[in-house]
Amino acid sequence: MAAKGIKSNDKHILNLAAIVGGERSILYQKEDLVAYDCDGFTLHKHLPKAVVFPKNAQEVARLVKYCSDNHLPFLARGAGTGLSGGAIPLNGEVIISLVRMKRLLNVDLENRRAVVEPGFVNLKLTNSISDKGYYYAPDPSSQYCCTIGGNVAENAGGAHCLKYGVTTNHILGLEVVLPNGEIIEIGKNGIPDSPGYDLLGLLTGSEGTLGIVTKITVRILKNPEAKQTVLAYFDKVSDGSQAVSDIVSAGIVPAALEMMDKIAIEGVEAAAFPVGHPRDIEAVLLIEVDGISAGIEEQINQILEVCKKRNVREVKVAQDEQERGRWWANRKTGFGAMGAISPDYLVQDGVIPRSRLPEVLERINKISEDYGLRIANIFHAGDGNLHPLVLFDARIPGESEKALKAGSACLQVCADVGGTITGEHGVGIEKREEMRFVFKDEEIIAQTNIREVFNPDNLLNAGKLFPSPGRCVEIKTEMKAAASR
Amino acid sequence: MITAELLEDLKAILPEERIAVDNEQGHPLGNSGKVTVYPNSEEEIANILRYANDNGKKISVVGGGTKRGFGGIIEYADIGLSLANYKGFVEHVVGDMTLTVKAGTPVKELQEYLAPFNQKIAMDVNWPEYATIGGVIAANDSGPKRLGYGSARDAVIGLRTVYPDGTVIRSGGKVVKNVAGYDMNKLFIGSMGTLGVVSEVTLKLRPRTKYESLVLLSFPEGDLQGIRSFAVKLLDSMMEPVALELLNPSLAEKLTGQHRYTLAISFEDIESSVHYQEEFIKKIQPAQTELKILSIKDALVFWDQFYQMAPNGAADTAGPQTEAALKIGVVNLDVINVIRECQLLQDTHHVSALAHGGLGHGLCQVILEGSSDDILSAINLLRSSAEQLGGYAVVKHLPFSLRQKVNVWGEKPAHYFLLEGIKKKIDPNRILNPGRFVGGI
Repeated sequence: MAAKGIKSNDKHILNLAAIVGGERSILYQKEDLVAYDCDGFTLHKHLPKAVVFPKNAQEVARLVKYCSDNHLPFLARGAGTGLSGGAIPLNGEVIISLVRMKRLLNVDLENRRAVVEPGFVNLKLTNSISDKGYYYAPDPSSQYCCTIGGNVAENAGGAHCLKYGVTTNHILGLEVVLPNGEIIEIGKNGIPDSPGYDLLGLLTGSEGTLGIVTKITVRILKNPEAKQTVLAYFDKVSDGSQAVSDIVSAGIVPAALEMMDKIAIEGVEAAAFPVGHPRDIEAVLLIEVDGISAGIEEQINQILEVCKKRNVREVKVAQDEQERGRWWANRKTGFGAMGAISPDYLVQDGVIPRSRLPEVLERINKISEDYGLRIANIFHAGDGNLHPLVLFDARIPGESEKALKAGSACLQVCADVGGTITGEHGVGIEKREEMRFVFKDEEIIAQTNIREVFNPDNLLNAGKLFPSPGRCVEIKTEMKAAASR
Repeated sequence: MITAELLEDLKAILPEERIAVDNEQGHPLGNSGKVTVYPNSEEEIANILRYANDNGKKISVVGGGTKRGFGGIIEYADIGLSLANYKGFVEHVVGDMTLTVKAGTPVKELQEYLAPFNQKIAMDVNWPEYATIGGVIAANDSGPKRLGYGSARDAVIGLRTVYPDGTVIRSGGKVVKNVAGYDMNKLFIGSMGTLGVVSEVTLKLRPRTKYESLVLLSFPEGDLQGIRSFAVKLLDSMMEPVALELLNPSLAEKLTGQHRYTLAISFEDIESSVHYQEEFIKKIQPAQTELKILSIKDALVFWDQFYQMAPNGAADTAGPQTEAALKIGVVNLDVINVIRECQLLQDTHHVSALAHGGLGHGLCQVILEGSSDDILSAINLLRSSAEQLGGYAVVKHLPFSLRQKVNVWGEKPAHYFLLEGIKKKIDPNRILNPGRFVGGI
């Protein structure tokens, strides 16, 4: 019936096609599948069994039920911009692509919320409500193409989350298809604190391992009345990072507080959106404050003063929205810009206590020397979220492996100073083993125990987020098994 | 006698002076322990839990005791675990604006400690001098300023939680941004102590308020449409109120002396910005309303009084009348309907009702006083109206005897099996706060 036109004898392909309504909603031939063998993390590749494109939650539920009944591994995918490999079909999964579920279902300005389907693109939400003076706060650099469903899975952040928080602080309700095919609603009607354990908080950032989100109620915010953006150039990184601390200590909560080091500046200036940063400085700060107009000037003056006290070479305030836009384009395309100065790059995502910044940068420098690879640093300095970019050339044998090791060493440094291994990109495949830098075995088991409640057969996005069971876990399991015998 | 044996066992874990035997008079709010223990260290907490878990003993966990009347269907657990002794500061990194504290630390102590550093925790809760940070997190308490502050789930960045088998599980960390693994912090926030005993909390701090004021805008009797239009206009403006709370006339009378529906609009920022926002309110002030501005000290006095309105489970005094408190959640502007309903039910149900709710976040608190029967029927009425609005009502405070007669949490959600599944994984022997949470968890 609906599976007509399918050139396959595989009964699963035929049955999956029938659920989504035929050949236009499924990919199953190798040449089509290669586009789905990885996401924004390209060092691992694996072909999916098929890619299906459901139109609504009921179809998602039927697909999931089918996979579950037939023991087929499956996972959900949005725009595929994830940087840690969360949507890579490691086990030859059936990929449930949510890109056709991309409607904006409802906007309720009076109650400051909107309901979207998971495939709705992040920036589109702000664009749909900006004429009324509203916006959606989480702004990952990929916001022009990444989906809100993917943002929920990864608990995405962005430059402006210093003041406004990450995705989890803006999610009010979810409709979720559980791995058994059941559809549940949590955060009913977008009302906060509904009775029960906070599944909303648990699912957000679970990297698609607990369920598939099919509808999302988000909080929307009114635009700030005023906004000012400052660029500050420092001859010394230590002065720049001290300025960051001073700004925060002065009781200012900037909307964003970004920093780039010398190599990063070299990259962004060589790429598509140069703004004329001096090439001989060690650090540039991009600082934005927003809020009530009557309070902005005082904050800007304080920031300028702090920068001067910390030996800033030059500091300037954006004169208009155009200039501000150019500065942000320069920063937000920073990762890609590394392509202009290096054939390949690997981006890391560690977080450190802000006060340890100078020490950590020194240690990252040392790693760069040890591995003989250049490392650029772009970071959300205000919240201590570092993005070391390890530059390498994959054509040189062994250099990819070296880059991976250098990246991992950077994360070890972050963990050593009391930080963590990922602030917004997620663990995915990439940082599974590094989870051990921050969690003991018992703590990892505590998390996989939760996964078992939702995803007992581990058919949904298996092999992500957690390290392969360690020796001591195996021994514990063996002991338990022996004890129960 | 069971208690004697239990007592002996506990003495092996803790020194005798930190074990108290209940005199069996019973507490009107229940949730007591036959024996109450006061651990001084995380290790002692772990030892007590492990003992209970191995020996089938039930534990009731308590901090300052302000929420003793919140949930729970047993009068006495075997062991009362008090965190009152487990308090103090573990680590405060001023430059990072993070603070790690032991769970038994009262919220007010935290704020007083932070003030000289020009920092604060962004939480406004009932009875801050008694309520411990651990208790606030377990019950997920928040106040009117949630609109600007967020709630416990936004402020907590790390926890140490002792599991029933004595294992200490860390979740989150000491940095403000963290997506390593599942966000397990969220699981414990609002879990009513049914999963583990939170021993240490790491919080994200905010700069201390530089200047604040409170605009009180009172409306002529019954002009609910006027309140709605005003709130919509304010929310659609670029002003940034930290609280936009509607008080029913009964509560307004207690706090301001005026028996009128009153909006409490709070601003916190630098002085010029606060005054600018006050001016905005004056500009859009509807006809026939009265406006009063309380600045800094007066605003603080108002809020201090405000946070003492709810029943305090730690107070000894039980008046002749029954007291109850409800938390009602609805879609933001539906708060107006809930507050109106609260005002009206005073006549139909012969109870007094002090009610307030946030037009920017949708949460209401209702304090009822009256005869037991009237209280029960008022609770039922309020719950059914909340449910008709698509929301919920949770009973935050009620004497133990009445908790047998009313479902504190309301009906189980459709996804209850997940909640139960989580409980079973973490506390399979159901030793922690049994029956205190949704669906009898």
